[in-house]
Amino acid sequence: MSAVSTAVRSVTVRGNRRTRAGAAILAALVLIALLAPVLAPHDPNAIDPSRILAGPDLSHPFGSDALGRDVFSRVLFAYRVSLAVAIGSVLLALAVGVPLGLIAGYFGGPVDSLLMRPVDLLLALPALLLALSLISVIGPGTWVALFAIAVIYLPIMARVVRSSVLRVVNEEYVAGAGARGVSRMGVMVRHVLPNSLGPSLVQASVLMGFAIQIEAALSFLGLGAQPPTPSLGLMLADGYQVLQQAPWADIFPGLAIAIAVLAFMLIGDGMRAHFDPHGVSR
Amino acid sequence: MSAAAAPLIQARSLSRHFRIGGGLLRRSAVLRAVDDVDLDVERGQVLALVGESGSGKTTLGRCLLGMLQPSAGSVLFDGRDIAETDRDRRAAFRRRVQPIFQNPYSSLDPRWPVERTVREPLDAFRVGDPPARKRRVAELLDSVGLSQRHAQSRPHELSGGQRQRVAIAAALALNPDLIIADEPVSALDVLVQAQILNLICELQRDLGLTLVFITHDMAVVEHIADRVAVMYLGRIVESGPADEVLTRPKHPYTRTVLAAIPQPDPGRRRDVAVVRGEIPSPLAPPPGCHFHPRCPLAVDRCRTEAPAMTAFTPDHLASCHVTAQEHRQKGA
Amino acid sequence: MSGPLLTLDGVSVDFGPVSAVNDVSLEVSEGEIFGLVGESGCGKTTLAMAVMGLLPATAAVRGAIRFEGEDVLTRSEADRRKLRGDRISMVFQDPRAALDPAYPVGEQVAETIRAHRPVTRRAAREQAIRLLGEVGIPAATERYRDPPHRLSGGMQQRVVIATALANEPALLIADEPTTALDVTIQAQILGLIRELRDRHRTTVVLIAHDLGVVAELCDRAGVLYAGQLMEVAPVERIFAAPQHPYTKALLAALPTRAAARGALPVAAGGVPDLADPPPGCRFAPRCPVRMEACETVPPPVLSEPGHATACWYAAQGAPG
Repeated sequence: MSAVSTAVRSVTVRGNRRTRAGAAILAALVLIALLAPVLAPHDPNAIDPSRILAGPDLSHPFGSDALGRDVFSRVLFAYRVSLAVAIGSVLLALAVGVPLGLIAGYFGGPVDSLLMRPVDLLLALPALLLALSLISVIGPGTWVALFAIAVIYLPIMARVVRSSVLRVVNEEYVAGAGARGVSRMGVMVRHVLPNSLGPSLVQASVLMGFAIQIEAALSFLGLGAQPPTPSLGLMLADGYQVLQQAPWADIFPGLAIAIAVLAFMLIGDGMRAHFDPHGVSR
Repeated sequence: MSAAAAPLIQARSLSRHFRIGGGLLRRSAVLRAVDDVDLDVERGQVLALVGESGSGKTTLGRCLLGMLQPSAGSVLFDGRDIAETDRDRRAAFRRRVQPIFQNPYSSLDPRWPVERTVREPLDAFRVGDPPARKRRVAELLDSVGLSQRHAQSRPHELSGGQRQRVAIAAALALNPDLIIADEPVSALDVLVQAQILNLICELQRDLGLTLVFITHDMAVVEHIADRVAVMYLGRIVESGPADEVLTRPKHPYTRTVLAAIPQPDPGRRRDVAVVRGEIPSPLAPPPGCHFHPRCPLAVDRCRTEAPAMTAFTPDHLASCHVTAQEHRQKGA
Repeated sequence: MSGPLLTLDGVSVDFGPVSAVNDVSLEVSEGEIFGLVGESGCGKTTLAMAVMGLLPATAAVRGAIRFEGEDVLTRSEADRRKLRGDRISMVFQDPRAALDPAYPVGEQVAETIRAHRPVTRRAAREQAIRLLGEVGIPAATERYRDPPHRLSGGMQQRVVIATALANEPALLIADEPTTALDVTIQAQILGLIRELRDRHRTTVVLIAHDLGVVAELCDRAGVLYAGQLMEVAPVERIFAAPQHPYTKALLAALPTRAAARGALPVAAGGVPDLADPPPGCRFAPRCPVRMEACETVPPPVLSEPGHATACWYAAQGAPG
């Protein structure tokens, strides 16, 4: 075992710790989101005039917003929307982007050009403008936000996968498999794909972190989740109005966003440490 | 059965070109990686294909494996042109000719356990049923000296020598007739190299394999080759029985390479002037005989006329105007 | 000067739990070409990095490395940087990694000169052109402006050697300088190194895994295995009369025409895990003549004139 590979292994272990920490936080958040109906002490949409802008207390740990709704319960339910959009949009982008990038990178030549030109076109358009255009055509809403973010991310994922594939395709074990008689499809699916996924998974997790913020931005602008559906972005928008009198209406949704983003970043960072040294030690 | 059985694999006027660069307005340059090569390998023989960078030996190896289509000429396996479009014939060819690659660190899929890599050829050709394949894998691991507990290991858990054993096991899976090995021991340390060389030689003997061994290491060639073919800038400049070529080389390039090899023998330290000049780029090989700018024997003719192959003995050939002339003068 | 140019005294290097170098002591005399031979993982590059002061902060180094009388390990990083490129230079295996692809090759030589000497740009340039010529680059004045990728591997390595020798260092460490080169080019570079040593009296430490290269170029050599120094001797003695079982094993395992095919004598097994090395002599687990003493006690160094071997078995037969 060379000294170098041992040192590299220690980085990987640290990386794994990061991934595990991030995954633990994310798992907790998903659990919270799923169990929101059970965990929430109050109906998130219940308006209570007696508690308008009331501060945090034992039964309302995060205080209440401008309509007297319990912020804590709203945050729990808002996680459903935010996590669903963040994870769903990236998964959708992966589902379309990975095959695109794989086929383009593997076959190259005219196939590559044919597939990647529209992708590059999408990439050239500014993300938020793209989202806004889609939403203006289809109308605002949670699902539309998910779809719009997926469209923004699709070309990124396709390109990441494609550049990974371009590298892997030149590796000897790919040529070797072909020389041993494996069919082109077989080589593409069984060798090239698994070995190209690494960077795209890292990218995916980072993009999920950004997606949360994009969703929040869209909701903040009134283009994402529509009231009464609680969404972290909407809560930020509403809370912004009453920042002076009731800062908790903004701080806690903001913190909630930050924690989710942190979780995704930790996972991505840890995975990067895992995939990179693997390349070095080879 | 005739005494002169047909060679197992042959290259006939084989050429392979690559177009480099070029675009809408610029003509692309042609890289003649393999230039009009004739080569015969007899059954059961070990042929060493030797050359430095740009010699074309790796490209030739890939053409012989069917991984690259020839630009001109053909590769004949068992008398048949391998470029046949018949899919069954091509599949049959693939089963009988298997590769071993150079770099033990990149020739195995890093995500696949050893067992799966060795089994892949069996899966690709659907040999036997899954239990039979498992048994065969265990057999193969055994024959290359790997313990069964490595079956589930990934390549990064194994040493360079062990990975090369895996590559050998995978190459043997389909019981091929011919193995084309591209620098299989170059990346290995001395002791590991000896172990793997022993393994390859043993297997070659026990299984009656034909072996094309691509290398730049003359010591290895000396040890295992029956025949040697020396390549320079895409052409075979000399070929013949290993003993002959290594002790009585007829081509100045071969002589140069042999003289340039550092020997593990301090007593033999050379003061003789080493070969001069750089290896030309294969994109712009010198006209006539490619070696003439660096050749100590070069005459005017070498600059304009590419030498033909001369038979110094019936199976020792070299392409050099000067030594061919000397040979003729000695009276054949 | 009196005394050896470079002395390693009980040098050990650990990377966390990994013992990369274990108690290595040797001397290199001024003007000689000293070879450090061993297989991968034997610690030869780690030792070279230790001498250059280029080990990462995670490395724990023990012992002393005396260069021109002073212990390099106790000097500050600023002092060591002054030594590098000036008194001690290093040439690495891959010239492409050593040369900046964005700058003309001549500039890179000139830069090394200017880093250590108060000279004008023009003087440095002229000196660089001279050096390029000296290392055998034809039309040096024109090639000065070429970016590295215009040069072949052999030419690039010559440029790297020129930068290494730009300030007339006392010591040149060459880490596998010809491994990445073709054999005909390798012969040229080895010849160049010898020529430069003869002309400038530079001391050279050559790291190699190719015994032929060591035989070709070196005056003395040290054989390393798994971080331990097994044998040190003049090169003729190493090849003609090796004392250490590992050295003998290395020489016996070289493929030759005479050796029977498939029967190269070689010990089974592989190098030990340096995170958990065997106590005592690290070659013992694979050694054909291992004795009980080998597995528990780190072996002493015994000598015939100039020939030191760390082996209990060899000690038995030694004179005196």
